[in-house]
Amino acid sequence: MTGFITRRLLQSLIVVLLVTVIVFILLHLLPGGPARAQLGPRATPTAIASFNHQMGYDRPVPVQYWNWLTQLATGNLGFSTQFNQSVISLIAERLPKTLVLTILSIILALAVAIPLGILQAVRRNNLADYVITFWAFVFYATPSFFLGVVLIVVFSVYLPILPAEAPQSASIQVILSQPGGLILPVATLALLTIAQFSRYMRSSVIENLAEDYVRTARAKGAGERTVLIHHVLRNSLIPIATLLGLSLPTIFSGALITEAVFNFPGMGQLFWTAAQTQDYPIMLGITVLIGVVTVIGSLLADLAYAVLDPRVRFA
Amino acid sequence: MRSRRCVLFRARRLAWSVLVSVIMLLTIGCAGQTTPRNGRPVEGGVATFAERPNATPNYIFPFMGTQYFSVTNGPDFQALMYRPLYWFGDDGKPVLNDKLSLADYPTFTDANRSVTVKLRDYAWSDNTKVTADGVIFWINMMRAEKKNWAVYVPGGIPDDIDSVIADTPNQVTFHLNKSYSANWFVYNELSQITPLPHAWDRTATGPSDCEHTMSDCTAVYDYLTGQAKSINSYAMNPLWQVVNGPWRLKSFNADGNVSFVPNKSYSGPNKPHLDQFNEAPFSDNAAEYNVLRSGDNSIQVGYLPPEAAPAKPDGQEMGHNPLEANYTLDRWHSFAVNYFLLNNHNPKVGPIFQQQYVRQALESLIDQKSIIRVVARGYGVPTNGPVPTTPPNPYASAETEPNPFTYDPDRAEKLLADHGWSTPRDGVGTCERPGPGPHQCGSGVPAGARLEFQMIYATGTQTTTLAMQQLQSSATKVGIKVDLRGAPFNTVIGTASPCDASKPDCNWQMANWGGGWVFAPDYYPTGEQIFATGAGSNQGSFSDPKLDELIAATQYSDSPEAMQAYAQYGSQTLPVIWMPNNDYQLTEIANNLKGVTPQNPYLNITPEDWYYVK
Repeated sequence: MTGFITRRLLQSLIVVLLVTVIVFILLHLLPGGPARAQLGPRATPTAIASFNHQMGYDRPVPVQYWNWLTQLATGNLGFSTQFNQSVISLIAERLPKTLVLTILSIILALAVAIPLGILQAVRRNNLADYVITFWAFVFYATPSFFLGVVLIVVFSVYLPILPAEAPQSASIQVILSQPGGLILPVATLALLTIAQFSRYMRSSVIENLAEDYVRTARAKGAGERTVLIHHVLRNSLIPIATLLGLSLPTIFSGALITEAVFNFPGMGQLFWTAAQTQDYPIMLGITVLIGVVTVIGSLLADLAYAVLDPRVRFA
Repeated sequence: MRSRRCVLFRARRLAWSVLVSVIMLLTIGCAGQTTPRNGRPVEGGVATFAERPNATPNYIFPFMGTQYFSVTNGPDFQALMYRPLYWFGDDGKPVLNDKLSLADYPTFTDANRSVTVKLRDYAWSDNTKVTADGVIFWINMMRAEKKNWAVYVPGGIPDDIDSVIADTPNQVTFHLNKSYSANWFVYNELSQITPLPHAWDRTATGPSDCEHTMSDCTAVYDYLTGQAKSINSYAMNPLWQVVNGPWRLKSFNADGNVSFVPNKSYSGPNKPHLDQFNEAPFSDNAAEYNVLRSGDNSIQVGYLPPEAAPAKPDGQEMGHNPLEANYTLDRWHSFAVNYFLLNNHNPKVGPIFQQQYVRQALESLIDQKSIIRVVARGYGVPTNGPVPTTPPNPYASAETEPNPFTYDPDRAEKLLADHGWSTPRDGVGTCERPGPGPHQCGSGVPAGARLEFQMIYATGTQTTTLAMQQLQSSATKVGIKVDLRGAPFNTVIGTASPCDASKPDCNWQMANWGGGWVFAPDYYPTGEQIFATGAGSNQGSFSDPKLDELIAATQYSDSPEAMQAYAQYGSQTLPVIWMPNNDYQLTEIANNLKGVTPQNPYLNITPEDWYYVK
């Protein structure tokens, strides 16, 4: 197992490096350049030249990349003039907020989607199955911005019982102390995820219920509840583990649309603003973070298979 | 049977309960959404101002580089704490505000080559006075770090000052290198000065002397900018707590949540009425509008997104405010001109744009009135020339400076045909009579040159997109083909730079970022930064010796005729193509908050004037 993990980590390092090279080149191919984008239409050519020199954007791209890479090796992701902050401190501020939002929504989604999926599988082609399937498709097909706005209109405008925006503090404690402000953004994210997870869970449980080991367990006198919880559930969670692993980058990169709708300045918004102003250090910093998290996510998904299904481990 | 009746009864009871609950909730909700409009003024309270999307303050030191120079950092943030020497915008008019200035209007002597500024009795919160040394501190900083001053223009302040002397602790005299217009020098040069406190004249190792020794200023600048980069310490850093404005910082976070409390030792005329003033960030217009609509009263001064603006009926100032239960709508006019650019240095179409009749034909294809009425829903004013005519101002007016090129495709067609162009409807006109003569296409325009232009425009706002489509549609009527290419705002401003015809980056032809020029801190609309030959912000590289002369006249003469001559010639010669200037913002003001209007055309806010009524 240690060898497997080491190999995967080394592969991941190469993947992340390649990603940064590609992103670096793509960023420099963007028209306009960061100087104009950040200095605005009033900037004179002298100011632009001075900015480019100060930021090192007037050097050849390979030199810029090498400088960035050597800084990265020391843990320095650069400085954003747009935000007047180091990229590390920006990520350190935004990431916890995003994690609060995304982790809460995923916990809620799992807590609802897994029982729903099981219920649908056990009562497949029944009224309950049809109703849940209908709503799953509705939420699955609903864009997050639309769902968010609908929730705001209903719960903040017509029934003003919940705030229209997420808590605004920079402190996680304060944010968590205002759960009312988190309900709508978490619900928006969770409803979409529930729709997705419950479909996978339903299919997986149906598939497992037809397996020989389930028949054997029943034949040996195991009750339906025991069969479901002790035999079927564990095996049915494999696709969910895959989805969770692949969700890891989203958990860290934030949910741009939901953050925008609920005015929650997290990682998604940070990246979006950086992209609009061609803020290279932020875009590269977040790209590295997402790259690392993506490979870690896929590694964790593989490890989760091994835990859930011993056959994978032995193979 | 009995049990069935019982079930029906329960169901009915449940339905009634739900209905009653919903009605109660709606009633409570609606009741909670109404805010009283009138009453007696009361002291105290907290008011929150909505920042515009993705525009959060991020720099506290008023001596800032271009990357930090913005309405958000300057007028909306720094100016609340650190007052500029002269304040502009008075009662909604784009003029000097004597009452809020730190100094009397300067005295000009020696044929306007000596300017004496007498400071009023203002104090810093550390009990020191605002002195002549504080003014010289700024000037020395400008001299030492001119490349780091956002609006530095070669030849402008501080280059145009030979010497500056503190005559007394509260009087400073500037000796200029030439005789300048008093208006221009006050509005465009002294306007850039923000006196600095003695407490800031230091480095990490201790006190310094930038106030008297220019060579000390770089170290002081480095120290202060270093402190200004520690963004999360703004509210704690004792340096930034030394203020002379009506407010001091209570809390600040990098997301844009900012709180101010009154500066108890503020020595100006308008002491704050509120206990606290907040600024709140928003990710986009919709998020801000949702908060206003929710009626939770967390924002007292916000804005109505353009897409939610009610159409303005003819003859009325505004349409029906969708948030009238809680808010009063007020139009915020900026002192600005709006235009799109023509690249006069483009090797292919530059010679065509250099012909005045072509520019006049293009201007004749802009239906400013319809764009304002239909696209901007009535919230805008036409741009007639280089000097704004709205809000009312002493420099130009729509009555004295009417737009000579209102929408008239027939005129456009005639102008082109008279100069040797074919003008096929829905086709592309070509130059049929090349040459520099009066009825020919003009010098540099070859035979067969086509009236076919690429326009890169910012797609972020619907008003710009629709205005560009209007131009495209009108242009086809006279044989001009406009190839529209939408791009993000930053791509447009990145593309539309002054350029050398021989360089590959000079291939852009027409550009519209949807903004134009807001006259601040060059409050006197003289145009030397945007339309003079070789000016840094003359992105289209326009050049007209007569316009240069007229611009120079506005800089060197106080005669109102100089400004009018410039305005009239600029509207005729068209260094750019004028577009309607949309309202800066449709401001929503809580019904029980007063003192917010009239709004400052230079985009300053003065929350110290705001107060609640009860």
